[in-house]
Amino acid sequence: MLTMTNISKVYQTEKVQTHALRDFNLQVNEGEFIAVTGPSGSGKTTFLNIAGMLENFTGGQYMLDDVDIGKLNDNARADLRNQKIGFIFQGFNLIPDLNLYENVEVPLRYRGIKAAERKRRIEDCLEKVGLGSRAKHLPQQLSGGQQQRVAIARALAGQPRFLLADEPTGNLDSLMARQVMELLEQINKEGATIVMVTHDPELARRAPRNIQVVDGKLADFTLYQSREAVLDTANDNKMKSAVEA
Amino acid sequence: MFVHYLDLAWRSLKRTPLVSGLMVLAIAVGIGITMTSLSVYHMMSMDPIPEKSDTLFAVQLNTMDEGNQWWTDDDLPQQITYKDAMALYKADIPAKKVPMMRTGFTVHMNNDQVKPFLEGTRVTGRDFFSMFNVSFKYGDTWTQNQEDTIAPVVVISEQLNEKLFGGENSVGKEIYLDDNSYQIVGVLNNWDIHTKYYDLTNGAFNNVEAVYMPITQIPALELPAWGNTNGWKYEMIDSYQDRLNSETFWLQFWSQLDSPDEKIAYENFLTAYLTEQGGLGRYTREGVSFGLRDVNGWLEYNNVVSEDNRILVGLSFLFLIVCLANILGLLLGKFLRRAPEVGVRRALGASKRDVFKQHLVEVSLLGLFGGVIGIGIAQLGLWGVRESYSYYSALATMDLSMLFAAPVIAISACILAGMYPAWLVCKTQPAIYLKTQ
Repeated sequence: MLTMTNISKVYQTEKVQTHALRDFNLQVNEGEFIAVTGPSGSGKTTFLNIAGMLENFTGGQYMLDDVDIGKLNDNARADLRNQKIGFIFQGFNLIPDLNLYENVEVPLRYRGIKAAERKRRIEDCLEKVGLGSRAKHLPQQLSGGQQQRVAIARALAGQPRFLLADEPTGNLDSLMARQVMELLEQINKEGATIVMVTHDPELARRAPRNIQVVDGKLADFTLYQSREAVLDTANDNKMKSAVEA
Repeated sequence: MFVHYLDLAWRSLKRTPLVSGLMVLAIAVGIGITMTSLSVYHMMSMDPIPEKSDTLFAVQLNTMDEGNQWWTDDDLPQQITYKDAMALYKADIPAKKVPMMRTGFTVHMNNDQVKPFLEGTRVTGRDFFSMFNVSFKYGDTWTQNQEDTIAPVVVISEQLNEKLFGGENSVGKEIYLDDNSYQIVGVLNNWDIHTKYYDLTNGAFNNVEAVYMPITQIPALELPAWGNTNGWKYEMIDSYQDRLNSETFWLQFWSQLDSPDEKIAYENFLTAYLTEQGGLGRYTREGVSFGLRDVNGWLEYNNVVSEDNRILVGLSFLFLIVCLANILGLLLGKFLRRAPEVGVRRALGASKRDVFKQHLVEVSLLGLFGGVIGIGIAQLGLWGVRESYSYYSALATMDLSMLFAAPVIAISACILAGMYPAWLVCKTQPAIYLKTQ
């Protein structure tokens, strides 16, 4: 689905050249749930922005569903982003003047979906995140966890095949973080491919696949299985005890 | 999507009422002042009789000796002599032509109910009204016989009829001009022209006359001209007859030429006439020189719209630019503060073009509000001009085209001012703002 080959990103100022990504290679398959970890400034968000076509890359090749992103102009990228990618941000990034219904409606409007279809999708998505009854509320009338759920509903409304989440639980307490994580897992089970940047090793471990970015490179590449999956497949008590511990 | 953009624009304006109000005020003041001067200019330069302005021609004849110069570009006097005016009037061609001059009388009813007052009077041919599309409320123009026999008849304006007869049909009734009584043969409908193109010697924007009488009254009453009388050589003028026979220029002359062929025929006629007059020893001049200018050509030739007016319009547009510069600054601040929201929209699928259009709709809405309020300010300005200078009463008005032009100019100006801020905000990298919100 997503293939990055030798992707590099250089931020150039008059005196300094900063390599945010270098020789970055990654393949993401349909239906995967990947957690991206790494220290601050390692290039996680840059990778996510490039994956979401919010930033240009300096070198390399990025293919999304066999489309060479490097060859697309801004409008084509916006169309592709709108059709295939959903974003969930750490700061929720809801538009404060718009109520929940209108916030979820934003990507659908840019896609040119008719009003009746928009209404159906918005109501479905808000219902899915448990906020169907609050459609007319403004974002500031909700808690952080609820706002993040609205952001997830907004990301889902466009029925994206690829969900990019940048520290989606970073501003939430542990209870809300768990709820959001469970929601993401459910979405993944329903077929969406998710790439989630996180600092939280606990959350990262819940993702079946985990990659690490250090100094702009994919330094480590570890395949985790979720705790439940390991427990299911563990065939001796010693291993089960180790996992549970 | 346009309606959605309008909705977003309206919300944005409501979110920042002070800044939005300042911008609307700035554009309204700029538009108000610009439209005030532009409206006056527009009325001044507008074709006063568009339905036939290209068939009415002011006639100029050069009947001066060789070597004499006039202050016009082509050395042609704007008026002609009485004897030329009458000769051209009596000629067979064209079918419709009129000599004319402005004079004036004390108007009264020979009773103590109407206080005598002074009124400008146009002395002209009976075809004046049909040539210049002046319609009658009651009666008609005087007959050829009445003109030939110097009958004491007049046509009066609707306003004068209202003043003297309360607006009722006064045809057949008498009024007094100085010491003589005149029978009214016609009452005009309201004739409101913004430029008095048929006689520019008394000011291009003065009101039309209230009384009209046959041209044959000039020698009969020895009427003085309420306008320019210009000579080019020394002449002893001791009597009115001397004045009539003199080479001084004091009458205007208009001909209606309905086709190019008629114009060519009339040019040939004028050539022959001037050749004949030269041959009679009236003046010494090689060749002939005359002018035939249609209404718009005549207005341009006489600089009816002066350079000052053009400069004034230019200055008012400069003022509008200053207002726009202020708006541009405010828009920059407003739009760039919204960059994080734009970042979100871009991430959710908005193209740069979508963002650009959204912001242009917002500035257009500002322009629309500014334009509508600007019309109010312009009306106030025009009212001030009318109150200050009665001379401008017909000019200081806003016609429909100007009413529609005001919001169009305002919106265009706002779009112009808003393009840079909109472009700036749409080209910002969304990634920068998504993390920092």
